[in-house]
Amino acid sequence: MKIWSSEHVFGHPWDTVIKAAMRKYPNPMNPCVVGVDVLDRNLDNQGRLHSHRLLSTEWGLPTLVKAVLGTNRTLTYIQEHSVVDPVGKKMELCSTNITLTNLVLVNERLVYTPHPDNPEMTVLTHEAVITVKGFSLGSYLESLMANTISSNARKGWAAIEWIIQNSESAVS
Amino acid sequence: MNSVGEACTDMKREYDQCFNRWFAEKFLKGDGSGDPCTDLFKRYQQCVQKAIKEKEIPIEGLEFMGHSKEKSESSS
Repeated sequence: MKIWSSEHVFGHPWDTVIKAAMRKYPNPMNPCVVGVDVLDRNLDNQGRLHSHRLLSTEWGLPTLVKAVLGTNRTLTYIQEHSVVDPVGKKMELCSTNITLTNLVLVNERLVYTPHPDNPEMTVLTHEAVITVKGFSLGSYLESLMANTISSNARKGWAAIEWIIQNSESAVS
Repeated sequence: MNSVGEACTDMKREYDQCFNRWFAEKFLKGDGSGDPCTDLFKRYQQCVQKAIKEKEIPIEGLEFMGHSKEKSESSS
């Protein structure tokens, strides 16, 4: 099992970041996400918005990893649950892969909150737990995947910025 | 952005536009009532459910309860 976590600060207020996060795909930084669908969406009795989404992704695993995993399939599916609390100003998003689960589990958790010292900024706490199953090369592959996740996370943060920049001129 | 079901992409885009507008202009400003996207979502959802079954995508723990029903889940 490999745990990766990082904290990122956006130079934008929480509302702006959340609007962008809900419209994150498509963006040029994450071309591997090729499909997004909302499976279910509802308000709970505390006024928080729950969304269940399905993401279709082309993982872009390195050739060596594909060979070791013994799969040519590159289209994988990820299930995502997010909760947006507009009063408490907190968005939490959890995702997990639902294919290739006999080989690897990638669980990600993202939490967006206003910066405690500056309401014009937003903090993202981003964590991932990676478990590769049944391989003696497990820890090597886990490190490889942690690097991929770290790299993709950075692209995701840049994607949020890109969405914000490209929306600011538009009337929302 | 495409849908998992090719036939659902137009419905998805229409729903997304409606949702994004409501989310930014109403929900985030504290007005979570009167969601105008319910009908769009129902049609889109039916299409997606069909595509998921056809592609045998292993969705877990989800019941398609409809857009406006409240969930009683207390765990995250």
